[in-house]
Amino acid sequence: MATQPLENTSLEWPVSDFTRVPYQVFHDASLYAREKAALFHGPHWNYLCLEAEITQPGQYVTTYVGDTQVVVNRTEDGEVFAFINSCAHRGAQLVRKLRGEASSFTCAYHQWCFSNKGDLLGIPQQRGVKGKGGMPKDFDKSKHKLKTLRVATYKGLVFGTFSQETPPLRGYIGPALLEQIDRIFDRPIKLLGYYRQRVPANWKLYLENVKDPYNAGLLHLFHVTFGIYRPTMSGRVFMDESKGHSVLRTADIDESQDEVKSVYSGSEKYRPDYKLKDPSLFDVTPDYPDKVTNMIMTIFPNLMLGQVANTFQIRHVRPKGLKEFELFWTYFGFADDDEDAIEGKLRQSNFVGPAGYISLEDGEAGRLVQLGVEGRDPADSSIVRMGDDGVIDNQDTLATEVAVRGFWKHYAASLGLELAP
Amino acid sequence: MTAMPKLGADVDAQTERQVARFLTQYTRCLDEDRLEDWPSFFSGNGVYRALSRENEALGLPAPLMYYYSRAMMEDRVTALRDALTYEPVYTRHITSGLLIERGDDVLISRSDFALYQSTEEGITRLFAVGAYQDTITQENDRLAFIDRRVIVDTFGIQNLIATPL
Repeated sequence: MATQPLENTSLEWPVSDFTRVPYQVFHDASLYAREKAALFHGPHWNYLCLEAEITQPGQYVTTYVGDTQVVVNRTEDGEVFAFINSCAHRGAQLVRKLRGEASSFTCAYHQWCFSNKGDLLGIPQQRGVKGKGGMPKDFDKSKHKLKTLRVATYKGLVFGTFSQETPPLRGYIGPALLEQIDRIFDRPIKLLGYYRQRVPANWKLYLENVKDPYNAGLLHLFHVTFGIYRPTMSGRVFMDESKGHSVLRTADIDESQDEVKSVYSGSEKYRPDYKLKDPSLFDVTPDYPDKVTNMIMTIFPNLMLGQVANTFQIRHVRPKGLKEFELFWTYFGFADDDEDAIEGKLRQSNFVGPAGYISLEDGEAGRLVQLGVEGRDPADSSIVRMGDDGVIDNQDTLATEVAVRGFWKHYAASLGLELAP
Repeated sequence: MTAMPKLGADVDAQTERQVARFLTQYTRCLDEDRLEDWPSFFSGNGVYRALSRENEALGLPAPLMYYYSRAMMEDRVTALRDALTYEPVYTRHITSGLLIERGDDVLISRSDFALYQSTEEGITRLFAVGAYQDTITQENDRLAFIDRRVIVDTFGIQNLIATPL
């Protein structure tokens, strides 16, 4: 990975209303370095894990902030602490298991031992051996803590930030999105499992994808034909004040079949003749009475929280270099789900994850765009004009790419990129 | 040396050959792109479930793929042929480590696989390694899976899983 100094980024955004996105953002190594400083280590709240994964004192999980590995753990007094998984001595990876229980952490290399709040507890041979060697007299353990993050939680979602300037979490997320989080996390959740996908694409292509209801009704036949998502449904795209976070929401109301037919005339994506031999996949009682079939929330920079039918998932977009990311899924139900409800969620896992009828196509879309843009001229850019140009604002339609523009607006502002006049 | 825990009773050489042949026919069916025949390896209510080794080790139930009837498997095949957008690849399963024993009225088998994918431009990558845990029924001298559990060691999936493992 080439890391050029920040000032080498020679990107000026070609239009100030973000209806064009320069392809350079998907293959410029200097931008990757700048993202790390400005987004992942800058004044933003980055998703870490769920509180449900560390319910007991001493439990820890590892996660990533950007491509930096971080350990999150619950201490004896019930607080959540997070630190970079790197020893304060010579930098070795400190915690070597992905998850577990520990009240302190000892580095394998020289046995430096740290508390679960990141304080250095002790080092071997500090005073030398047989009166020789050892640390200098002025060595002060209190000055060699692990590099910690500030942590904040909302409804069981754990976020961390390296910056002292990041505003309080609730204000960062904003009221429009908090309401959607409240809807899902209205009762304790139950962890059902994880999925991991290594997608051969820049991480931002996934954010573009899930902020784009235009593709949802055109890429995914399953969405369309089986009524999880159609642009003719009652749908809405809304954002927070910064426009960096967004929600796409569809509900199975106010839809007429004539409209559906006219929208898909000439397309092969709506197939009323397409029937399942075993439709029990859809025979699951909804979890909420509000008829919402699809809800995709993104929290800047790289978290997605979603509902597809009866499935609920966190999708954490973890950059792994410029042209690859891990899509890390945490799949969950609710603590009060009975056996049938759990079985319904396991059945519907066939929609999501690496093999899911809907989600597998999102991985393929990322691959296709990355392949396509690699050879494009640096001056070339994509067109993001569905939903009309002009002010980036909430829209009561699904024929729009406005949330994609919102993402890039907040991205450019966060990185301090110049805009064309 | 500790002996492997027994799954059931020993089987005779003829049964062993019959099961080995059945399992090879399964991977050949997939590798020769005869997906339409894939559901016929299962009994009517047979279950095909792929689980990441991570979830399996943690005791978490979320499956990568979960089909609990032959009809559902036929639906997957139709979707792969007509509906889904994914990269076309050639596949090659290499299997080994076959162990077959007899349980109550069923045969139990364990085997390992490596699955290679080759792109349309002829580049081959190791896509996944894992293990099959099978419960097989013998109906009128024909074998069928009652349950095929695929434990996927390579659960950091390279982009996506389209065809069955």
